[in-house]
Order: sequence, then structure tokens, then C-alpha cells
Amino acid sequence: MEAAVKAFALIGYGLAAIGPGVGIGIIAGNAVQAMARQPEAAGMVRTTMFLGIAFTEALALIGFVLFFLA
Amino acid sequence: MDRLILAVEECDPAAQVVCAPSNVNELFEFPAIFAGVNRTVVLIFLAALIAIGLIYFAYRRPRLVPTKFQAAIDSVVGFIRDDVAVGIIGPDGMKYAPYLLSLFMFILVGNLFEITPLVNFPITSRIAVPGFLALLTWVIFVVVGIRKQGLGYFGHLLWPPGVPTALKPLVGLIELVSTLLVRPFSLAVRLFANLVAGHVMLSLLLVSGVVFIGAVGDIGARSVIGVAWFALGIAIFVFEIIVSVLQAYIFTLLSAVYIQTSVHPEH
Repeated sequence: MEAAVKAFALIGYGLAAIGPGVGIGIIAGNAVQAMARQPEAAGMVRTTMFLGIAFTEALALIGFVLFFLA
Repeated sequence: MDRLILAVEECDPAAQVVCAPSNVNELFEFPAIFAGVNRTVVLIFLAALIAIGLIYFAYRRPRLVPTKFQAAIDSVVGFIRDDVAVGIIGPDGMKYAPYLLSLFMFILVGNLFEITPLVNFPITSRIAVPGFLALLTWVIFVVVGIRKQGLGYFGHLLWPPGVPTALKPLVGLIELVSTLLVRPFSLAVRLFANLVAGHVMLSLLLVSGVVFIGAVGDIGARSVIGVAWFALGIAIFVFEIIVSVLQAYIFTLLSAVYIQTSVHPEH
């Protein structure tokens, strides 16, 4: 029973990682594009990119914590 | 080593669906050295001392032409002051630069303990440390908000300008939860979970390598797999350096952004 709960928690973590994975890909991809188009704005773009990544990543990390709690 | 109970040692695929270590907490708990003081507490004070010491020894006798050490610390201090404090918060940011700098130094040293030989334990992987630091940031941005805008701060916080009256209850509820609850929670959990993941991954890979290679007498040539685990562990080691620095930066950056929303309500 406990192993089954753990297995479901593991699947739940996998599901929680899908959205942020796609999101971080979009953020980083667009940031690279922005930096390539306007290299002088690279510093600002990088800061904003990290901010976006940090906010998006939180969802996956909450899933990760829930996996250990389950 | 005997404290680490790993999947390789006690997994029974027939009975267990997931081959997880039976108790991951053992990686993060240490016996008390004396009266409630364990290794983690010692490391917390050590991290604080190192962070203070780095700044102190760099600026004890500041030179016009900086020594190498002073130049290195200078670049960190300048980065936090100019790019994070002033860059995010604006000209008012100079006031918060000392807080952000000490936050960054402490978290950085604490994170880098993860990959320091003989220490190998990130203090930020105990929720108490990032939790308290997030609480500190929370208190600062709420107090700054009340100071700058009076009790109107909560009005701004609940209803950004231009919200239709019909939507006010809904928006107010969402903003209240997201600002006062989710912000500190996600700030703490982000740092905590990254370091926990890194620590578990490192211990699992490196100890798997050692266990497999050590069992060469029992399983013969198959213990070669241990070399692969060990090599992967070393690769993750390098990756964890990046994660440590990046997470310290992100924690500081988000603290600055949260303080900025209190200082300048119109944005």
C-alpha cells in the first residue's frame, strides 16, 4: 500500500514537472532569441529570464517536495 | 557510510513498486554533539563566520589598487549593489544593499558547503534556514510597504489600480494569498528543494559508486557499473556549483523584487 502511494507520488511529481519544463524551455528560448537580436540588452534580458525561470520552476519544486511528503 | 541506507542495498523489486531509500531523512539528520547542537547548527554558525570574515578581511585595509582578494570580493559586492539593489529597486535600493549582500553571502557559503570536501552538507537543505530567511524578507517588504504607503499599502496590495468593482472580491483574495502566503513559501521552498535534490542526487550517485566498486569481490566484473555511477556523480558535482551560485542569486534577486513592489507601488 505504502509503495503504491509512493509510486503515485512519483507519477505526480513527473506530471508536475511537465508544465514547468515546457515553460522554462519557452523562457530560455525566447531569451536567447532576444539576446541574439539585441546583444546590448543581454544583461537586462538575463535578469528577467532568471526571474521568469525562478517563478516557473517553483511549481516543479513544490511537486518534488510533495513527493517526499507523500 | 553505514548511516546511508540506499536503494542498492535493500530493494526487493518483487515487493516494492519504487526502489526508494527507506528513509531519505537520514541524509539530513545528525546526532547532537552536545545539548541540542548538532553538525547543522555548527555549520550555520561557520557559514555566517565565513561570510562575515570574507567581507571583513577584504575591506580591513582597503587599497586604492586592490589586492586580488579585495578585487574578487569587490566584484561580488559591486554586482549585488549595482545590478541587484540599485538595478531592481532603483535609487532607494542603496538602503537595502547591505541586507541583500549579507543574504547573498550567507546563502552562497551555505550552498557551497554542499560541494566542499569533508563538509558535503548544504545547510540550506534544512527548511529552517531558507524558511527563516524568507520570513525575514517577508517582514522587510511588509514593513517597508506600511512605512512608505501607510495602511493604504494593503489596499494597493489587494487591488492593483484599474480593477473593475465586480472583480474586486476575487482579485483581492487571489492577491492576498499570492502576496502574503505564496511569496515567502515559494521563496523558501525554491532554495530548499534545489539543495535537497542536489544533496540526494550527489549522495545517491557517489555512494552507489562506492558500494558497487566495493562489492567487486561479490559480484565480479559487474561492479564496473560503479565507475559509471561515480563519474556521473562527479559530473553532477560540477553542475551543483552552478546551482549553488544561481540559487543564491535568485533568492537575492527575488527578495529585491519583492522589496521593490513595496517601495514603488505604481509598477
